[in-house]
Amino acid sequence: MDFFTPILLAFTLLIEFDRELYEIIGLSMQVSLTAVGVALLLGLPLGAFLASIHFPGRTALIIIFNTLLSIPPVVIGLLVYMLISRAGPLGFLDLLYSPAAMMLAQFCLILPLSTALSRQLFEALNNEYDALFSSLGLSRTRRIAALIADGRSALVTIALACFGRAVSEVGAVIIVGGNIRHFTRVMTSAIALETSRGELALALALGCVLMLLALLVNLASYWLRGYFEKEGLNV
Amino acid sequence: MSDKPLQLGSENLSIIRQDKKLLKDITLTLPTSKVSLILGHNGAGKTLLMRVLHGLVPPSTGRVFTPERSLQKMVFQKPVMLRRSASRHFDFLCPDCAEADKREWFSRASLVGRMNVPARLLSGGEQQKLALIGALASRPQLLFLDEPAANLDLEATAFVEEMVKWSRTQGTTIIMISHNRAQAQRLADYIVMMDRGRLMELTPADQFFSAPYSAAGKAYLDFA
Repeated sequence: MDFFTPILLAFTLLIEFDRELYEIIGLSMQVSLTAVGVALLLGLPLGAFLASIHFPGRTALIIIFNTLLSIPPVVIGLLVYMLISRAGPLGFLDLLYSPAAMMLAQFCLILPLSTALSRQLFEALNNEYDALFSSLGLSRTRRIAALIADGRSALVTIALACFGRAVSEVGAVIIVGGNIRHFTRVMTSAIALETSRGELALALALGCVLMLLALLVNLASYWLRGYFEKEGLNV
Repeated sequence: MSDKPLQLGSENLSIIRQDKKLLKDITLTLPTSKVSLILGHNGAGKTLLMRVLHGLVPPSTGRVFTPERSLQKMVFQKPVMLRRSASRHFDFLCPDCAEADKREWFSRASLVGRMNVPARLLSGGEQQKLALIGALASRPQLLFLDEPAANLDLEATAFVEEMVKWSRTQGTTIIMISHNRAQAQRLADYIVMMDRGRLMELTPADQFFSAPYSAAGKAYLDFA
């Protein structure tokens, strides 16, 4: 197998509109974007809260979130598995081996990332704005809203980091999703399967498609950041 | 602006940091609807006193009397600019201002053409004007100005002084810090003289500039 064979294969699969490939791409994007969206929705306000409001136990909470950054995805997968398996506390929801379970696992994986990174960003912003916010007597809600609004340019990078971690993750989605064909098979689990079957060219081709998707998302975020900079709002 | 009589001052106010008294037992009652100008050398505690009165720094001992926070505004020496347009920054400072009023304020500050420019890209003088009109637009009872004309050009300084005079005519109580003696003489009704964390005197400005009571006041005028 030479270097160009998988790339050529990847483009062939894409150009020929291989139904199964597009199904896998679609599910990968659906699972990862949903997980990222929800993790940002919760993580950003949480990060802004931790950055701007001082309360007992705040430092402990920050340390916990920072520690969770280095937790292996398979451990997250295992914990989510225990949570949603039939005998688990959420077993009644019947989520195991479904796309929803994969979303939940990826959400658990990237919530600490979105919280920890945004907390760092918002802490710097809050230090800069604190005198003004205090002078205006802003409520906690208005403080958090203002921090999120003003940090939007850097938040694009945080969203990108979360997407990168979610879409490239394999251990957790296999544990809770099961890699079921036409149902829970995503890019990374498909790559793992093809590799185990010795189909290295196909596995690498899928890897190329994954890289291409990451490139497209990066280009979109680059454009968005450029827009903010053009408006002079990222000064 | 509220019709409630304004109470403004402090009683036995001290600020202690690492066993060092930065403000020492300050008891004062500031006149309302006047411009009180805090004078003193660097390190005298002027900005700290202002921040304590505004409620940004809690007193270590003693207490302060000020109107509720919504009736106060402060303009900082280096204005804090949000990452948004000048117009939206103004909205943040004065959320209840009508669009027509906003345009009127920008017009007064000669900033109409700069409304859509990012606030952080405005010049230093323009930023200070924006901070000032944002504070004034909400018609505060009490306005704190921490060296609002420091490093400004003549035009921007003239605007700041014009706004201070106008606010006084509207009944606003203004507490201001300045190192510029000529400006102090032009604007101040009262002088609050500070020296090494102590209140040395609170004197009508005419009296202070002709014959200050305190030795610190005399020494300050010899330098200024």
